[in-house]
Amino acid sequence: MFDDSTLSKSKAAAEQQQAGYNKMLERFGDAAPQRATAPKTGSGLPIKNAYFPHDVAHIGHDQIGAPGQFPFTRGNLPAQYQFMNWANQPVIGYGLPEHTRERMDTLSAQGMVGYFGQKFYNLVYDLVSHEGLDPDHPAARGRVGQCGMAVYSKQDMARLFDGMDLRKMNVIHITYYQVVAAFAQYLALADEWGIEHSELRGNTMNWYHQSAYVGMSAFAPESGHKLAVELVNYCGREMPRWNTTNFFCYGIEEAGGTAVQEIGLMLAYGVDFVRACMASGLTADQALLRVGFQVAQANDFFEEICKIRALRRIWATTMRDMFGANDPRSMHVRIHTHTSGACLTSQQPLVNLIRTSLHTLGAALSGVQAMEVSAYDEALGIPTEESATLALRCQQVIQEETNVTAVTDPLAGSYYVEALTDQIAEAALKVLDEVEAQGGYIAAQKSGWIRREVEGSAERWREEVNTGERRIVGMNCYEEGDAQEAEIFEYPDDIEQTAIERVRELRATRDAAKFETAMQAYTDKARAFAKAGHAELGNSGLIEAATDAARADATTGEIMGVLKDALGWSAPHEY
Amino acid sequence: MNIDQKNTETTTGGRVRVLLAKPTHDCHDRGVRLVARKFRDAGFEVIFFNFLLPQEIVNTAVEESVHVIGISVSSGGHMPIFEDAIAGLKDVGMDGVMLIGGGIIPPKDEATLKEWGVRAIFGPGTTADDAIAMIEETFIGEAAV
Repeated sequence: MFDDSTLSKSKAAAEQQQAGYNKMLERFGDAAPQRATAPKTGSGLPIKNAYFPHDVAHIGHDQIGAPGQFPFTRGNLPAQYQFMNWANQPVIGYGLPEHTRERMDTLSAQGMVGYFGQKFYNLVYDLVSHEGLDPDHPAARGRVGQCGMAVYSKQDMARLFDGMDLRKMNVIHITYYQVVAAFAQYLALADEWGIEHSELRGNTMNWYHQSAYVGMSAFAPESGHKLAVELVNYCGREMPRWNTTNFFCYGIEEAGGTAVQEIGLMLAYGVDFVRACMASGLTADQALLRVGFQVAQANDFFEEICKIRALRRIWATTMRDMFGANDPRSMHVRIHTHTSGACLTSQQPLVNLIRTSLHTLGAALSGVQAMEVSAYDEALGIPTEESATLALRCQQVIQEETNVTAVTDPLAGSYYVEALTDQIAEAALKVLDEVEAQGGYIAAQKSGWIRREVEGSAERWREEVNTGERRIVGMNCYEEGDAQEAEIFEYPDDIEQTAIERVRELRATRDAAKFETAMQAYTDKARAFAKAGHAELGNSGLIEAATDAARADATTGEIMGVLKDALGWSAPHEY
Repeated sequence: MNIDQKNTETTTGGRVRVLLAKPTHDCHDRGVRLVARKFRDAGFEVIFFNFLLPQEIVNTAVEESVHVIGISVSSGGHMPIFEDAIAGLKDVGMDGVMLIGGGIIPPKDEATLKEWGVRAIFGPGTTADDAIAMIEETFIGEAAV
């Protein structure tokens, strides 16, 4: 990268700086803070106190490249935000479909917008749906419409999207393991409204891989893996505009994982994912054409930016070299940033506005495609209308006022940023090697290795907070100000009762014969799917049969009940 | 603290047995799993599990004859869980068990839960050591050292 003369001057300059630095260390003696004696990143990677040209001399230009060029370290496209800002994708969902719709409309009116003026809605389902249940199940008590929307049928979907044109919007369905049910109900609604599936735009999460590090009831890892592959095949064939799969990096960081683990483990899952898709007959390009990533943006400002740059590089490189991916779109890491929820404090909640602003700025400087900025009160409850609007304003201020959108990958060339990007990339590739040595992601999940690794990081983080080595304003330093109280979101009354009445009414009034026929056919498909090997995936008819059931007004609990019976389902402590 | 150097026996013999329970739908288990580790390090016997129905907490508490039950909820819906668990424990004559909570419990709910007999809520700003100290004070006699 540099000629010999520059390198020797660089080294001489570094020696001079280090000599001066060492004198300061001597003067401080034991009083020198740890960041002065042994600087490290939030992940614990050792870093230097200053960087020079020779610190990046080992990084080939082919590892950095140009925006829009392999390996995409500097961004997927030649332009970043010059023609199009990142999409605003706040997570929305609470109460009945009508409550969620009201919040969607409110935020739209406040300027929430996707690419080129298109409407984007990032919708989260409630705790009952995540468990694959209906609101009248005994376990649903107190959880209906909590932390998400109470949508359990095609009919609820119709309430949610009443009067909207599904062809002119992009809907992200944030599900956990109930992907099939929610997707089938959305497709059934499209059918009812005379809309071709191929015209729909949006995302399914396909997040079966998260049971490796997130403790919720789930299908067994292999079964989840098969469901993921089936969906990729189905959408590739029927819905070319639909984004099939989201790699849930964010959950790793939220569970306590480091930046390195976040991208290393998801790369490892990506490898297993492509392998399984290829076993079903897809090419790597077909498997990867419509995938995205949800990535956290947490506190270590530069590490989090370099993490994104490193992820783009190692993903493209690995997918090309291991699987022969060739289409640039299949090598791109399209990122939805979720600013870290775990970094927020319930103490002095307004201070979270400052944290999330920094996270948002970091994500913008990394060149991500979409953002959810956490609201300042999210350590206390779900966002109020006021806090949700402020979180949107945070995106808008950075988009409209700072001019960081004028230049692509503006931090490129910083000795520190390039060196740290490379360091994180290499560390994450070691995580991939470790997982591969165990037989891949699913194997490392089943042995509990992934969970232990992430949990070990969570424990180290907590120890650092307890000892004061890691300082968190309002939590272990500058604690005064506890009197400051945020208004906590209050759920509307009668959500639960209404949801229960609706689902019972639906079951009582739907065409029973049509329902029974559709459910029987779907049950047969689910049983056959359970027996299918990877090579047989892709044409099982499972999604089609689930959609038929949803057309006949099957509920989330009913659609999921069949899959749970066929594939097995258990609480997280049992796998 | 090195557990070899302190008394971990309860006043009635044996170790303190703690049941830590988390709803299956609640993915926010980073905190409670850490608490489980810390409790084990403190010498407690810890049973950690995820429940669908509160009655499962009661059943497990009976089977494992625990001294302490900790319920962690970070996604809302905690009040019916505590309500059902407390009623169920009373039905089986275990209302004397020490019941504690953790996670994200708003202050007004915390006050109600304490009226219902929940001994303490360990939310943000508390540490596992705070809970350990309370449990040791209640169940463990003088330190052996």
